[in-house]
Amino acid sequence: MSVSPLANAGAPRPQAGRVPVPLRALFAGLIGAGLLFAAWYLSGEPGSGRLALSLTFGTAFGFVLQRARFCFLCLWRDLIDRGDPRGALGILAALAVGTVGYGVVLGAWLPDPGGPRLAPDAHIGPVGPVLALAGAVFGSGMAISGSCIGAHLYRLGEGSPTAPFALVGTALGFVLGFVSWNTLYLTSISEAPVLWLPRYLGYAGSLVLTLGVLAALALPLLRRLPPAVTMAPRRVDPLRAVFAERWPTWIGGLAVGAIGTLAYLRVGPLGVTAEIGGRSRQAAATLGLLPERLEGLDGFRGCATAIRDAVLTPNGLFVAGLVIASFAAALAAGEFRPARPTRNQAARGLLGGLLLGWGAMTGLGCSVGTLLSGIMAGAVSGWVFGAAMFAGLTATLFVGRRLRLLP
Amino acid sequence: MVLLSVEFNNTIVPSSFGAWHGHVCGQRVLSVIAGPARTLMPFRRWRATVSYRILLAARVALAVLALPTLGARVAQSAEQSQARSSPLVSTEWLEANLADPKLRIVEVSVEPGVYERGHVPGAQNVVWHTDLVETVSRDIAGPEKFAALVRRLGIDRDTTVVLYGDNNNWFAAWGAWVFAQYGLVDNVKLLDGGRKKWEADKRPLETRSPDVAASRFPVTPVSSAQRARLADVLAVARKERNEAILDIRSPDEFSGKVIAPPGIQELAIRAGHIPGSVNVPWAKAVNPDGTIKPVAELKKLYAEAGIDGSKPVITSCRIGERSSHSWFVLSRILGYPVRNYDGSWTEYGNTVGVPVVNLAGTVWTGK
Repeated sequence: MSVSPLANAGAPRPQAGRVPVPLRALFAGLIGAGLLFAAWYLSGEPGSGRLALSLTFGTAFGFVLQRARFCFLCLWRDLIDRGDPRGALGILAALAVGTVGYGVVLGAWLPDPGGPRLAPDAHIGPVGPVLALAGAVFGSGMAISGSCIGAHLYRLGEGSPTAPFALVGTALGFVLGFVSWNTLYLTSISEAPVLWLPRYLGYAGSLVLTLGVLAALALPLLRRLPPAVTMAPRRVDPLRAVFAERWPTWIGGLAVGAIGTLAYLRVGPLGVTAEIGGRSRQAAATLGLLPERLEGLDGFRGCATAIRDAVLTPNGLFVAGLVIASFAAALAAGEFRPARPTRNQAARGLLGGLLLGWGAMTGLGCSVGTLLSGIMAGAVSGWVFGAAMFAGLTATLFVGRRLRLLP
Repeated sequence: MVLLSVEFNNTIVPSSFGAWHGHVCGQRVLSVIAGPARTLMPFRRWRATVSYRILLAARVALAVLALPTLGARVAQSAEQSQARSSPLVSTEWLEANLADPKLRIVEVSVEPGVYERGHVPGAQNVVWHTDLVETVSRDIAGPEKFAALVRRLGIDRDTTVVLYGDNNNWFAAWGAWVFAQYGLVDNVKLLDGGRKKWEADKRPLETRSPDVAASRFPVTPVSSAQRARLADVLAVARKERNEAILDIRSPDEFSGKVIAPPGIQELAIRAGHIPGSVNVPWAKAVNPDGTIKPVAELKKLYAEAGIDGSKPVITSCRIGERSSHSWFVLSRILGYPVRNYDGSWTEYGNTVGVPVVNLAGTVWTGK
């Protein structure tokens, strides 16, 4: 099993050969076929077109995340610990592709962005101190639990021992978020402006500004690229390249940008917390833990947490497709490594998850829904959340390592 | 010599330009074909005299000049005549008339993003939450706002407008009710079955927005003929006026078992219904595919509840939007005198000192 040494650094090498490759491939293929069959079946049911598409996009997203290791924390640690900027460049590639793709779609949907209307259901949230706090707390949760929510979901498919605890913690964090919402809304969020760049700059201006900022962030990183390793020319096996070897993050970034655009065009912006948030809200409401009314919450854009009245929802199927596709991809690549969780992993998962959930609830989305989908749509909220997230993440890592609590 | 062949109900009827007008009126015209004709008897006799020739040449010249506008006139006439006969248009008719430049198709859906991700080709978008209502006070869009909206949509007094939307045309019907208050009544149609039927028929959708030349619709004062106010409803409730009130909410809302459907935040302080009102849920007027039932069935349905058009009707629900659907059925399809009470239960059930009937026995007791 050859895996790029740098991409897989820090993780134990897969125990290759324990399960024969053809058997793993067969099993992964069956799972993939099952997902496709489910999407095909749903597409034939009346009124289920969006469900089928959500499952398909979730499947593609999970496959890409797993193959490219598209995990905000891992990519950030590569950069600050080892000076390797390739992961960070992958995120910038995703944002650039998605920004252009959204620009094409938005220009058709809302030809004049200068009016009072926002682009239909794009994730454009209120910008204020609560958003910055949400981003910082979310970043802190990433540092403690070892991933953002999207990455915990794909790692669940890889058999991560921490991910289940982190996701339970996230659900509880959402409940804490709901409990604190009314206070935050009345003291700050209700007065926070919803800032959408195309409204002030037009689509062209917004596109130029966003791509300009992304280029300005990318230039210093490009200077720090590690020297190319000269390898003897070898025959590339496409199957191995796609299903077994790690993808360079920039390829994953291009794919994430494309999936983000296509999902917005057909179903809605990418996001992974709407279902977790909605179900947590439902459970908490049933248990009487929530205030009677969450002021103004359902009027905001972002990962909507309105209480579900259906068993199958688009975001639920998106998340299910993500986790199952990641499992199949990990299985095929020999990266499915379930492990018994240690007490430390469980504690870090739960605590980090709480912070992730609180941040994602009060920030109206996470690193996927608010950061990626927001910046792609030209929302200032995406940038503020992102900056605060990386600040909170870096600070927590610094302090946690000083105290010898975090690796 | 130029003659026209005009196809009436799948039969090709040749006619000269001098006669086309009388033939087309009241007929469904499917296609117009221009070409030379040498076979018609009357014209041979006319050729005999020079004066007829001059006359004919003048006719032909006029006809050739009129040719560019003819197609549009024929299509317009056909579309108007077919659509004028009914307040509903079928999905089949709409697809056949998509290319008509005089037709305005408008989607009024409640779910955001539905229009943008695919709509009837050529349809324009109206957002119920902001375009058709005032956003600060509770009211329909005022005269200035409404005029600005329909100018943007390219709608004049004589433009045929087809409205459709999601959720069984609830909000499209609300749109038709608002349009009617500004005098756009007979030329405003609903697409029978709405979005649901169009999609179920597997008809095409597109994502592009059409470019439409703005109209010069004047700022028009709102008419009160289509709208009932609290005072009107109260007069009926107190039996000071002999009118019918049709409450189209669910039986549980009508009886007072619940104040509003699940998940609805805008409530009333009391549960129940207006004294004297009858309950026919809106959905009873609709077939399973979303199309509206035949006239005979509708008449029977409402007659069983005592509504037969012999006295004025007021339709009511929670906020007046589901009741717009029944307003449309009763007033536009059955031709009964109907007004919609948009204050509905969120106004009546919150009003101090009005009589209320509560069949469910839920009374205000505090805790």
